[in-house]
This record gives sequence, C-alpha cells and structure tokens, in this order.
Amino acid sequence: MGLWEHIVAGVLAVLLSEPLLGVPVVILMVSGGFLLGITVGATPGLAGPMAMAIALPILISIFGFSNDALLPVLGFLIGIMKGATVGGAVPAILFNTPGTPDAYMTTLDGYPMAQKGEAKRALRIAHFSSASGDTFSDIVLVVCAPFLAILVERYLDLPEKTALLILSLAFIASVIGGSVGKGIISMGLGLLAAMIATGEDFYPRLTMGQSNLAEGIPIAAAVLGVLILGEVFKALEDLHRQSGSNASPEITPGKGSALSRADLRRLFPYVGRSALIGTCIGALPGVGSTLAATLGYTTAKRRYIASKPDYAPDFGDGAAEGIAATEAANSSVSGANLIPVLSLGIPGNAAAVFLILAMDSIGGFNPGPSVFRLGGGIGDSVMNPEMVMVFGIFTSMFVANALNWTIGGIFMRSVGFMARIPKERLLPIVLLLTLTAIYVQETSMAAIWMTVFFGFLGYGMRRVGMSPLPFVIAFILGQNLEATARQAFAATGADPFFLFNSPIALAFILMSSGVVIYNLRKSAP
Amino acid sequence: MSSDRWLALSFLAISVLIVFVWIPLDTESGLIEKERRKFVIGDALAPTITGAIIALGAFLTWLRPGRGHTISSKNVIWILLLLTIFIISLVIVRYAGPVSAMGFVDGYRPLRATPPWSYIGFLLGGTAMIGGLTSAASRRLSIRGFAVGFAASLIIALLYDLPFDDLLLPPNGDV
Repeated sequence: MGLWEHIVAGVLAVLLSEPLLGVPVVILMVSGGFLLGITVGATPGLAGPMAMAIALPILISIFGFSNDALLPVLGFLIGIMKGATVGGAVPAILFNTPGTPDAYMTTLDGYPMAQKGEAKRALRIAHFSSASGDTFSDIVLVVCAPFLAILVERYLDLPEKTALLILSLAFIASVIGGSVGKGIISMGLGLLAAMIATGEDFYPRLTMGQSNLAEGIPIAAAVLGVLILGEVFKALEDLHRQSGSNASPEITPGKGSALSRADLRRLFPYVGRSALIGTCIGALPGVGSTLAATLGYTTAKRRYIASKPDYAPDFGDGAAEGIAATEAANSSVSGANLIPVLSLGIPGNAAAVFLILAMDSIGGFNPGPSVFRLGGGIGDSVMNPEMVMVFGIFTSMFVANALNWTIGGIFMRSVGFMARIPKERLLPIVLLLTLTAIYVQETSMAAIWMTVFFGFLGYGMRRVGMSPLPFVIAFILGQNLEATARQAFAATGADPFFLFNSPIALAFILMSSGVVIYNLRKSAP
Repeated sequence: MSSDRWLALSFLAISVLIVFVWIPLDTESGLIEKERRKFVIGDALAPTITGAIIALGAFLTWLRPGRGHTISSKNVIWILLLLTIFIISLVIVRYAGPVSAMGFVDGYRPLRATPPWSYIGFLLGGTAMIGGLTSAASRRLSIRGFAVGFAASLIIALLYDLPFDDLLLPPNGDV
C-alpha cells in the first residue's frame, strides 16, 4: 500500500468514525476539546496541560484501551492544546492578566488597546494571528515529520538512536530554565525515578524492599505530581503571600469593527515572521511557546520601530502588530512540537508529554520513526496501522484549525468571565480532580501519596529555579534510553565504545557536549 | 556562600550516596555481568551513570551559581502547612468510610461500591482538602471555602461514579 492509501485511510478514520449525536465521534471530541481548551486558556491559573492531565483518565474510562480509542482521545487532547493557546489571549487583553504564560507579551499591547475602547478589535487580531500561526505550523508538521522519520529510520541504527536520545536530553536540560547545571540535575532525577523497579533482574532495583514501588513509579503520579501539583502548590503560596489584590479593572469586549483588508495586509508580515519563528522553536524539543512569543514580539518590535508611521502607537502602547506577533508565535508552536513526538518519539513540551502519555496508556501506537514505514515492516501490500493513525492525527489537527477559523473567534470573545473565578478556590479543586484522576487509574492510595511527594519535589524545583520539564521528559524517555543502550551494547558484541565508533553517533555525542558547553558559557555571570 | 552553591553541595552529597550506598545495597547485578560467556549490561550501570549525571549537574551549578532562587524558612513553613492538610484530609479519605461502617458485622468492604458509603471518605476528605487549601491560600478559615469544597467534591464524585461502573473512588480500591 502506498502513501496515498494511508493518507486517505487516515482522513476517513476521522470523517467516518462512529457517529455520536449524529457527528463522527473524532470530530465531536476535537470540538469538545477545542472549546474546553479556549475556556481553560481564558482562566488564569489553569493551563492546557492541566486540562489534558485531568481529561486523560476520564477519556480512557469512556473509550477504553482499544485501537478505536486512540483518535477520539488524542483528538480531544489536541483540541485542548490548540484551544488553550487561543484562549490565553482573552484575559491578557480584557484583564491585563495572561491566561497562559505565553500570552504575557499580549498584555503589553492588548490591554492598552482595550483601554482605548478597542478590546473587540484586539481580540479579533489575536484570534486571526493565532489561527494563522497554528495553521502554518500544522502544514510544516505534515510536510516535515515524515521526512525526518524516514531519515532517522534509514540512517540510524541502535548506537545512533541511543546517541540521539542522549542529545535530546542534553539539549532539553541545557536550554530550559536559566541554569545548565540545574537542568542537568533535573534530568538526572527524572532518569533516576524512571529506573526504580525497571531493571532486568528478578529483584526490582532501587525499591528499598517497598512492595508499593515493586511495579515502578506510576507515570501519571510522577508527571502530574511534578507538573500539576508542584505548580498548584507554588501558585497557592503566591496567593498566600499577596497582601491584596492589585488586579487591573476588567474591560468588556463591547462593539468593534471587523478587521479590514488593509489591516490584514499590514499585519500579515508580522504574523508570517512570527509563525516562522514559532514553528522553528516548536520543532526543537524543550524550547516552549513562551520563548517563541518573546522572540516573535522582540523581532517584530525592532522592525516596527524602523517602519512605523508617526501617528501609529508604539509597541507597549497598544500596537496591533505587537498582539499579532505574539499570538502568531505562541500558536505556531503547537503543531511543530509534534514533529519530534511523531518522528522521534521525543516530547518537546508539557502538552506533548500528555499526548505521549495517552499513546502509552492506550497502546497500539508507538510514536517514533517506524510509524512512517510503508507496510509497517511486514510487506509492501500491507497497510501500516500506525501510519494511518498519524494521518488521522493530522486530520484531527486540521479539523481543530477549521473550528478555530470558524467558531474560535466568537467563542473566545464569550469566555472573558472565566478570569473572574478566584484562583484560591479554583486551584484546590484542580488539585482534588488531579488526585482523583490518578486514583481511578491506579486504584491505590499509595499512588496518591507518591503524587503528593512528586508535587513537593516539583514545588521545590520551582523555588530553587530548577525547571521540572527536563525531569518529566527524562522520566518518560529513561526506560527507552536504557533499553536501546542495552540492545546497542549487545548488537555491537559488547563493545564499550559503541557510542563513539559510528560517525553519526559520535557527532551526536559531540553535539551533546557542545550544547551543554555553549549554554554554560552563555550563562556566564 | 550563595544558595545555589549550597544546592550544588547537597546534590553532590546525594549523588555520592546514590552511587556508593543506595545502588550497591539495592541492585542485584553489578555494572557489567558475564552471562553464558557474553558480557551484558547489569542493572546497576544505568543508575550509576545517572548518579554521575546528577554530580555533573551539581558541579556545573557550583561553577555557575545563579541568584535569587532559594528555599526560605517561609517556604518550609508553607510545605509543613500543606503536608498537614494532606495528612489530615487523606487520612479522612482512607478511614472515614470504614469507621462509619464499624457497626456492620462485615465492615466496610461489602459496602464500598454502595452509595452513600462509597462517597463518605471522598466527600469528607475532599471537603477538608479543598477547604483547608483555600483557607491556607486566603489566610483565613472560611465556612464558604469548606462549602465550596463539599460541592466540588460531590460534583467530582458524581462525575466519576455515575457514568462509569468500573471506576472506584478513593479509597474504595484499597479497602
């Protein structure tokens, strides 16, 4: 079966999925996830990954662990991921509070525009830019991911794959956060947690004889604990320390004109440039949408200063171009960050972690270079079900884009009220929801205690300025890294220098050292 | 000495403990083993390399210490406050149901899937957790916080329990 048959089968898997309420279930789930994502994004204190974490066990309970479950579940999660980025702009513009961290730059021009009575116009600009960046990024994903996977599959054997995993971890540990050393400690702790009870001997290693650890640390307990509980603990403490509210007054969207062709022509270069920046950054594991938004904004600001007419507002005083540059950049990360997920099996950010978690929990789909192999390695006449699934995922992303272009703008202008929900009430509810989600998955109070433990670890990491993301990504990749290294060692006849004998593997190892040294020199005081 | 250098020293000590105490005492095989005249990687190798990675991170943190990030005594008090709330609420979750069913001959286990018994621990413990955390964040004990906690716990319980027969709320899988 050729590529075209796989594409058609993937598209049909979405469009002809089992109907629910008269709508194909995958489309229904993408829509539900997208609307929930906008709502979550519009709620300061909540973020897309939180909603994905809470939704995952509920979705698995509804759809089960069969192959048919994969597309509806992933569709819902992808919908949340995309919706949250769009929704983050709403409180940034109306309340001067970013709904998601990557919308901070939107406040700089969005809120001043709203103060001038142009809130609705600012929201329209944010939506147009966000939808454009997202669509561009998805197109790049569809074009690039298969080629990258084919290159990896063709040229990389076990030693090279081991070296590639080491390079990815070194890159993530070095570029996230402000300290290379802390990034490496965070990665080391994640690898250590992944190694508990996962060896090949009869005795489960590093368990200290504890029966609760004999099955290893539940992936949900470690990931949700560090990412969600750690963030909730820190946010609650920040509220505890705040002496009083200094929130900016709310501005209602009110009435406003639609964007004219002249507006779009003026904004288009800023949107295009930021979409390119966001897509390039999104494709790199570990570099998140906040950096993309910052880079998009600063690049646009430099260009704007050089070409701005005298009567136009400056960046920071309500320039439409500032909103366009920020929103296009942060939204274009969401498609591109699936490039390393689908072609290499390496998650680049927190949202991608939950997509991998869903694939891992449901089974039947192992993201990595083999998913793009025609015939699935069995024969040319056979359909590769994983490749069909990938094209189903791509179709779901374009369904979410279509929703974004059609109803996204209207919906995002109606969820401004979410920012009024007090965080001190909302966050404990999110925490209980997360713990309940873990319990229904693991059915053990020990898993809840482990989650709380990892929550404190995540809190501590944040307080000492250590990013928790290298921990989470290392925890997810740890077992795979050890298994690949063991196989490579055996396949090379127990050669202890298997990472240095092939030129590609050696290049990856040198690049790993290079990225650490480069970032270390960059962070010199 | 800066707080980052203390952090680096702490993680250096932790990595030494991992490599020289925890791994030798708690793994069955060594770094490299010989099985059927072939060398294979033992269970201790990967954790040992991980310990070395943590030591490398600690060394680099020592070399390039940052500023402004530290765990203060206020943070420690906050952690203890949270821990107290979790211990109280999770003990209520675990034992409220069994204690309330002490009058029955067979105890709580036969009742654990039957409302209202199946909800008792979760509702009381969830209320204590949400109410406690809300009070801690807003620095005042409010009845309203506990009322919201009860309502939220009830909604979460119903969300999981009503549509799915096979899901068990905490602590019903443990008793």
